[in-house]
Amino acid sequence: MSDMKVGLVLSGGGAKGAYHVGVVKALHEVGAQVDAVAGASIGALNGAILAAAPSLHEGAVRLETLWMDLANTSPLKFNFPAYIQLLAASGLHLASAGVLKEIVQKAQHIAGGAMPAGISNFLGGLNEGALSDTPLQNHINQYLDQEALNKGLPLFVSVFKHDHAFRDLLRCAVAELGIVDSAASEFVHIQSLPILEQKEALLASAAIPLLFAPKRINDNLYSDGGQGGWQKMQGNTPITPLLEAGCNMVVVTHLSDGSLWSRHDFPNATILEIRPQSNISREGLVPDILGFNAGKLPSWIEQGYVDTMHCVGRVMKATKSRVNLKVSEAAVVQSQDTARIDQEMQITMSRLSA
Amino acid sequence: MSDLAPITSDSKIYQVLISSLPNKFIVDFANGIDVGRDHLRVQRQRTGMGARLYDGFTGQGARRQAEINASLIDGVEGSLIWLGELTESLALSNYAIVQVNERLSVITQNVTTLAHYSADTRHQVEKLSIHFNQRCDQLNQQIYRIDFEQRAERQLEQVFNKWAAGRLNTFSLAGRCYAAMEELRWGVFGDYCRIHNNHIRQGFLGDLANRAISQLANDASMEPGDRSEMSSWLARPTGRTLLADATDALAYLGDGSNPEVQPFVFSITQLPEQTPLSVPKICNADRLARALVSELFSV
Repeated sequence: MSDMKVGLVLSGGGAKGAYHVGVVKALHEVGAQVDAVAGASIGALNGAILAAAPSLHEGAVRLETLWMDLANTSPLKFNFPAYIQLLAASGLHLASAGVLKEIVQKAQHIAGGAMPAGISNFLGGLNEGALSDTPLQNHINQYLDQEALNKGLPLFVSVFKHDHAFRDLLRCAVAELGIVDSAASEFVHIQSLPILEQKEALLASAAIPLLFAPKRINDNLYSDGGQGGWQKMQGNTPITPLLEAGCNMVVVTHLSDGSLWSRHDFPNATILEIRPQSNISREGLVPDILGFNAGKLPSWIEQGYVDTMHCVGRVMKATKSRVNLKVSEAAVVQSQDTARIDQEMQITMSRLSA
Repeated sequence: MSDLAPITSDSKIYQVLISSLPNKFIVDFANGIDVGRDHLRVQRQRTGMGARLYDGFTGQGARRQAEINASLIDGVEGSLIWLGELTESLALSNYAIVQVNERLSVITQNVTTLAHYSADTRHQVEKLSIHFNQRCDQLNQQIYRIDFEQRAERQLEQVFNKWAAGRLNTFSLAGRCYAAMEELRWGVFGDYCRIHNNHIRQGFLGDLANRAISQLANDASMEPGDRSEMSSWLARPTGRTLLADATDALAYLGDGSNPEVQPFVFSITQLPEQTPLSVPKICNADRLARALVSELFSV
């Protein structure tokens, strides 16, 4: 019986969450175990599907099915970015399209630029009815089964206490500039919540401010968990609940290039980071997060797989070398136990000379 | 050698170690390379004026550099720990090699002792083998000699039994003695006397002479020392049961006899009526038997 308890952190990053598919697939292939999952934003949704799956392998298959559904959705049928489709199909209520369009237009007016065609089309076609009854929604309904989730791996999600959409974003911007950090995100153990609040908490973790309405948990409103502790990505990389849950080995995935989350803030934890070994950014921050180009999703899946194989493989190789060293040492020590045979030889030789 | 099964990659200890929690320093050491490389890649991409100003203003550049530095320190620290473990392991291996060398020396010494012991033992076995073979040869010779002697004595016994049974009665008294001795001379008895030295031969020939004297005296109904004319010793017996060619047979047997060297044989086999001068006119059993032994078995 292994004394290892492994936690998996799936950080937020919008459509780049496809990267998690490759990560989970690779972890299964290298024979890793996962005992608990924590996620932020898209990581919370992916984590929920993984936690509800009967095995790591099945979790990888379900995630791949879901994300390939998104990748294969015809852009002519739905004029939505992949990530918005995913969140809406999961049950998040879109904010009013009119309000959003007004916000964007005001922002453009201030900046003096023209609205990008993609955002304009997206906002133009934004309504909830267009997202109903799709294969994607069927898969989500099947994979986010409440009963399976409650029997599955412990799942923690980060949520950010909602104040006001604009103020929340403003605090993130201030934190990004290094002036004052945003308030810390809170971590919620999904299985400890009442049944009715479990899915609300999941969706709250992914509720991008302005685009999606915040969710109510315990009489408080919560939105995207990635907003908290912005400077050190405390909310977007929810490792703390896993350490508190007793995980002695944590695999942390990042969905941004050069993430400034630091393993050195957790000096006592054994942390294996899966970091992009080549640029994970494709078309810029907003298009990547919202997934305007669903054709990029398979490349993120592949990148997640390759990076995980690389990062985990390096650690496994080093560990194996050290284990071999220790085992060979033990073998050397064991082979030095020659007292009995030496004594037998001494007796035999003394018989010769007698 | 230890009684425990040798530790290999199939051993339980290996399986337990490989599936147990990796050491933090190993993970930090190995994973720190990928972390540092991620930051370094981004750092190299942010060399434009705007990016540099932004990173400097927000402090992200300094934080990124700090992360790279920390990863490097982790790597150096991990290297130091691993180097320490490797050094300790090497020291253990060196001590093990020393122990192996010491044991090898002891074993070499013991093998040398064993080799000497083996060579000495072989030499002793060879000596023993030679001695044993010599002894066997001696025993064989003795057995052969005893067997030879037995056969010679048996022939002597058979010949005199035959004489005593009257099988030679067709000859004269001296002819019987000659015929018996001639048979012995050409048989095992004669071979035995020719092969063996003078001392053994004299003993056998003494027995032969004594048996012949006794049988002659018995046939002549006389004492061994009682004298009688020589012609009576040479006279052929008469009677119907005698063989007609007995005289010819004796003549044939003694055909090569020389009257000067073997006067008694010549007298008995060739011309009983004209005995050489060296043959006495009066003779007793003792004189006749000894003369025949002397003439027939002198080598």
